[in-house]
Amino acid sequence: MSVSKSALVRALHYTSVATRPRNTCLPRSLSYRQLHATSRLDVVKPFLLADIGEGITECQLIQWFVQPGARVEQFDKLCEVQSDKASVEITSPFDGVIKKLHYEPDDMAITGKPLVDIDIQSEISDEDAEKLGGTNGKQGPADESVAGYAVQAGGGSEEIAAEPETAARGTPEQAQQHRPRHSREDKGSLATPAVRHLIKELDVSITDVQGTGRDGRVLKEDVHRHVSQQTQEPVSREPTGAAVREDRKAPLTPVQMQMFKTMTRSLNIPHFLYTCAADMGAITTLRKKLNAAATSPEQKLTHLPFILKAVSLALQHHPLVNSSLDTRDPKKPALTYRGTHNFGIAIDAPSGLLVPVVHNVQDLSIAEIAVQLRQLSDKARNNKLAPSDFSGATFTISNIGSVGGGVVAPVITEPQVAILGVGRSKLVPAFDENEELVKKEELVLSWSADHRIVDGAECGRCAERVRALLEEPGRMMVEMR
Amino acid sequence: MIVWNSACRSARLSTRPLTVRRCLSQRTLDRLTDPVQSYISTSRDPYLNLSIEHFLLQQSAPESVVLLLYVNRPSIIIGRNQNPWLEVNLALLDPSSHDQSYSEPPGLGAVDLVRRRSGGGTVFHDEGNVNWTVICPSKDFTRDQHAEMVVRALRDCGIDRARVNVRHDIVLDQGQHSLTIGSDDTHSTPYQTPEADARKPLKVSGSAYKLTRQRALHHGTCLLSSPNLNIIPHYLHSPAKPYMTARGVESVSSPVGNILLSNERFIASVQKQFGKLYRSIGDAQEVGDEWQEHDSVRKGCDELKSPEWTYLQTPQFSISNQSDTLTDVDLELSVRNGVISSGFCGTRKSGYSGAARTGLPAGLDGRRLHDISSWDDELGGSLPSVSHDRVTRLCKWLHMMLPPPIGRPNTHFR
Repeated sequence: MSVSKSALVRALHYTSVATRPRNTCLPRSLSYRQLHATSRLDVVKPFLLADIGEGITECQLIQWFVQPGARVEQFDKLCEVQSDKASVEITSPFDGVIKKLHYEPDDMAITGKPLVDIDIQSEISDEDAEKLGGTNGKQGPADESVAGYAVQAGGGSEEIAAEPETAARGTPEQAQQHRPRHSREDKGSLATPAVRHLIKELDVSITDVQGTGRDGRVLKEDVHRHVSQQTQEPVSREPTGAAVREDRKAPLTPVQMQMFKTMTRSLNIPHFLYTCAADMGAITTLRKKLNAAATSPEQKLTHLPFILKAVSLALQHHPLVNSSLDTRDPKKPALTYRGTHNFGIAIDAPSGLLVPVVHNVQDLSIAEIAVQLRQLSDKARNNKLAPSDFSGATFTISNIGSVGGGVVAPVITEPQVAILGVGRSKLVPAFDENEELVKKEELVLSWSADHRIVDGAECGRCAERVRALLEEPGRMMVEMR
Repeated sequence: MIVWNSACRSARLSTRPLTVRRCLSQRTLDRLTDPVQSYISTSRDPYLNLSIEHFLLQQSAPESVVLLLYVNRPSIIIGRNQNPWLEVNLALLDPSSHDQSYSEPPGLGAVDLVRRRSGGGTVFHDEGNVNWTVICPSKDFTRDQHAEMVVRALRDCGIDRARVNVRHDIVLDQGQHSLTIGSDDTHSTPYQTPEADARKPLKVSGSAYKLTRQRALHHGTCLLSSPNLNIIPHYLHSPAKPYMTARGVESVSSPVGNILLSNERFIASVQKQFGKLYRSIGDAQEVGDEWQEHDSVRKGCDELKSPEWTYLQTPQFSISNQSDTLTDVDLELSVRNGVISSGFCGTRKSGYSGAARTGLPAGLDGRRLHDISSWDDELGGSLPSVSHDRVTRLCKWLHMMLPPPIGRPNTHFR
């Protein structure tokens, strides 16, 4: 490797500073750094299990050849692992002292995860540094091609018109830490002999290739991509030409992650769907009158507050639908009838699906509910929702009708036992009591309930009660406290 | 004098430690540094052949390429990390030890049980099976290259149905000859049938690997003309398997078949292909019993023969008779590193559990499973609450599932 010694010192200094607070007990008196031109690492680092090929992600640990406290030299055997047909001896790339073994014999050791912790007492090359964990959060295996693949995940189409800054990214933290040192001139020297050979073979100039590896080093993937890019470029430059249809891997955003986790848990719930269509004519007439008399735009009512109130009134008669189910102990499910009606309202925010909660709907008037809804959606739009806004829901209402939809099958979030999906109301032809054809404004209400607790009849009765309240708003008045 | 000469020469040529004995010739030791080496064993002893193979792995020069061919007397070779109780019908290995009542002796006599040092599954070796080993530098190693070499050797002998499959094994396709061009591709033949077809290819060679820092060893079997194909399944089917849960690598069983080629023709063809691949003309060196005299080879042999290596290298497993409705005394044993580590015993009951269970009978805890020669002796007095009949039945079950191992490995010449 023709990396300059000062660059190596700086590189290792950055990495060891980043990790030092956590897992070292540096003897201050032994400051090797002042005595040697290249730096020594006096830190304990996890040595990762390298990729042993064939796409194998885990292998069984058969035996250890070392124990904690053992002094090893470079190339001493550490352990033997076995995966399907191959038994592999793993040797230490460094001199040092073994501090910790991460597996017992017979355990499955995972590729890319720490195998042993070594107190390194030798100089290590960049390649060897890659085999260690705890550096900038990137724990890729030593195999270059796999590391390159993980890094390239950062963007397919974006790479084609890559700027130096974007190309050098590995993980965001890594980019920040290495950007000061990354420059086009350094890149020329940051490629392993195998990659240089490839470059020579393909007759490419290394300075033309954007490196996406650590420290901006050029990987085999980068070279191949560069070569195919050269042939593709005329096509991609055309403004209305073939759009670049490349797959793009992206990590889940925090909101997506939360949704993923919650919905995965919901897979355990046996859902059944009950739908009914409510005639919203009366509500719409009522709304129009009230809104006409409204003094400010904030006071205008949509149909949602009415629906919330109707559901809350119905739940007084069907408290089972407002209960919570605790299944932490699968043999002893615990059912709790909740005293308050806290409705989670599914909101389509810019960052994704959020479900803030309107608390104590049973004590709120329709106007107050409307105010709360407005406040929550404003906060959602401005990313101002607090954790307390999300807690304590006993029932959820998802107004997908703001987007569209007729019948929907919403997914229950545990520990709730039911959810209501509201579609978009539309004008449909219907028959009145004189069997005359009239226009009706129909809104489909879709109830999903947890069949472990709620049966069809109970859910149906609750749904029909809500429908009756909406079709005849006067009844809501009669029931209100 | 010879010892000192070889010391100097070795020190110059390689960095391997010096453990030379007089009985290996100087020429042999020099050969270990040749860039291309070819060996053929005259011994039928599986312990010796595997030890020679291991010696070559450790002592041949780091940049050299080595071929070794050998044939073993009837023996069962289990992988490095496998479970002999799970993979092998141990009762069949020593025909003098089992009673006649539950199976006919297959007529093979005593069969050795050997745990090799490479990974992979269980195979049966006999004189109709030739084993090939190639050792090469790690950096040049791929899992398929030498299987491809062997396929070329087979095709040279007219076996054009042979190809390398996705598991790096060698199979013979069974379909009709189709008109699609069969090429030099060692991974396909004109006899391949589409997936849905019932005529599965027959496996004729399985592979296993051992990878060290500098060297990669790939060895495989080759079923040429085994007379024992129909009885091999008996040996490789353990009655205990349904009752065990185990860690470790399980064998993947495949239908096997004979290639129907003579050993000599196959050996000559493989040696020729090896020479072609590595651009070398040279005769194969014979290796055999005289290598037993060499210190590290003998130590390796002794280790392979030891019951500690054979049985105590077994990953953790447990055996329980609870799913066997014919037994009425519950028993579960957990075995770690071949030693009984925990378990319980109790009478079968319906409804409640645990009330009549006792811990392990005192004599069993910490015992090496392979040391137990009679279950009646072990359990006889330890279950006072259980009737004698039931204990006898339990011991009979245990005797079937965990039979006492054979005596010392077969040392007589075959």
